[in-house]
Amino acid sequence: MTATSDLAGTTPPRRKRSRHVALMLAGAAVLTLAACEDDKVDAQAFPDLDSCLAAAQTDGLWFSADDCRTQFAAAAQEHLETAPRYESRELCEQEHGVGACGADPAAGEAGAQQGGGFSFMPLLMGYMMGSMLARGGGVFSQPMVRTPGGYSTPSGNQSFASNAGTGKVPSATFNRAPSTIGKPPMSQAQVAQRGGFGASATSRTGGARSSGG
Amino acid sequence: MQKILLAERPGWRERAAELGFTFADMGGEPYWDETSAYRFTLSQIENDIEDPATELHGMCREAVAHAVASEEWLTRLDIPRAHWDFIERAWANGEPELYGRFDLAYDGSGPAKLLEYNADTPTSLYESASFQWLWLEESRDAGVLGADTDQFNRIHEALAERWAAICAPGEDVHFAADKDNPEDYATVEALAWAAREAGLGAHFTALAGIGLTDDGQLADEHDRVIGTLFKLYPWEDMLRDEFAPNLQPSQTRFIEPPWKAVLSNKGLLPLLWHLFPDHPNLLPAFFQADLDAARRGDTTAFADAIAAAEPLLARGHVVKPIFSREGAGVVMVEDGRETARAPDDSYSHHPQIVQALAPLPEFDGFHPVLGAWIVGEDCVGLGLREDRARITHNLSRFKPHFIEG
Repeated sequence: MTATSDLAGTTPPRRKRSRHVALMLAGAAVLTLAACEDDKVDAQAFPDLDSCLAAAQTDGLWFSADDCRTQFAAAAQEHLETAPRYESRELCEQEHGVGACGADPAAGEAGAQQGGGFSFMPLLMGYMMGSMLARGGGVFSQPMVRTPGGYSTPSGNQSFASNAGTGKVPSATFNRAPSTIGKPPMSQAQVAQRGGFGASATSRTGGARSSGG
Repeated sequence: MQKILLAERPGWRERAAELGFTFADMGGEPYWDETSAYRFTLSQIENDIEDPATELHGMCREAVAHAVASEEWLTRLDIPRAHWDFIERAWANGEPELYGRFDLAYDGSGPAKLLEYNADTPTSLYESASFQWLWLEESRDAGVLGADTDQFNRIHEALAERWAAICAPGEDVHFAADKDNPEDYATVEALAWAAREAGLGAHFTALAGIGLTDDGQLADEHDRVIGTLFKLYPWEDMLRDEFAPNLQPSQTRFIEPPWKAVLSNKGLLPLLWHLFPDHPNLLPAFFQADLDAARRGDTTAFADAIAAAEPLLARGHVVKPIFSREGAGVVMVEDGRETARAPDDSYSHHPQIVQALAPLPEFDGFHPVLGAWIVGEDCVGLGLREDRARITHNLSRFKPHFIEG
């Protein structure tokens, strides 16, 4: 990622330039800043347990049927614990799409403790497994939920066109999202506070202009 | 200062693509152009660019100290009153600056003249600090440039040192920019690499993904609290967003700090001329409103300075909106006739300033503008852009430079 100049011999007495610089631009497609290509891991997404079990029999290069079962259970539990929670179905559907939300199964006990009422969350639409084997880890997973344009992990930091398929994704995809279980659901105001910047621009044209100069 | 025709490095376009420098060509025109380069002597670099630019930054700091204590100047600079305290506190607390770029007119002799200061969101950092550096190293290795050539380009190292100086070891810094703009993103990524080298945690967050926690802190898309935020988004817009009231209470440390609102504002140019009249690196500059008042015969604090500058202004001047980027809204007038006008007038509804014209030199039909990079409080490097037009804009091409002699 960095380069160093040849220091031998010709270094002038008053050198005016860096001895090394960072040359690589990872690019905007990589949401985790400056994630390197070698930070990507093999991943495969499944809409349900059965499709994972079928794949493990035919082309499961790095996962077994046991991995499918263990990771499906882990993803379901993590979905329950970390999926975003909203105070109304309408608000949830606004963020995740019509028909993609359900009542919070944990709202009964946890909600009662908080003195809160209803809570809605996006439905579990499958799970993604990733192989950390090359880096001494094992197989990891994340639940997948709907977004208006596709699918994402609960944190929303990685989005995908489909809940089935194979590819390479940043290893950070498998970072656990912050826990939401037992916390008050998000209100419209909290959801709306996203995207606070960029609304006004002193240029009348706004839009695609660079912010730099 | 000369423009020298040089052999391009074979395969540099592939190299650029491989490195992620995707905007080396923009709009079908070359942006990075190494068919020629500018040559400077060490004395030109040190005496005419480096030392004056460092001095100019010191003068700008004095201008900030003056403005934040002056309701009159904060008003003239069109800084929203609701945020005056925010800006004044940031200055009084000594919140440190990271970087900036002076645009200078210079032809190889005489004092370089300050055209403007991109003190808040300067771009072209990657090509200045990294790709230009690579060009020099590879051109030397190939024998196209002599072994005794150098480049004024300590930008990357200086950034890493500055990050280490202004942040705690291991501090997490969030970098926010428009991720769909490759030029902006490259500048942010170049800064983030330097931060990582300084041992800091660097995280990218899309501007539009920043939200608020229940406690009023800023948070990124992963709901991580943002303690320190580098934002490639201008203060004049930050302070006008609906989100603006959340900024000061969030206790976030902003880089650039809020007081850069005074510098990233072409109202700085009249302020500098007011504080440092006849400084060799400054051009006479005034608010259009003050000029109009003086010409009506009104007595103002600027009337004498305006009267003294009138002959120079009559020969040639430029009119610029106080907020604008990449040459937008600039109009050039010589001997009473309009001789150039930027096609983009999207900023022209803002108050205007009038600055005496420092004609850019011409080399082979192109007009170079020098970008003198400031990191911390010192000038540490140089990047040039040139254009056939006399007003440099966002498609003007980047030219490498070297020092020899």
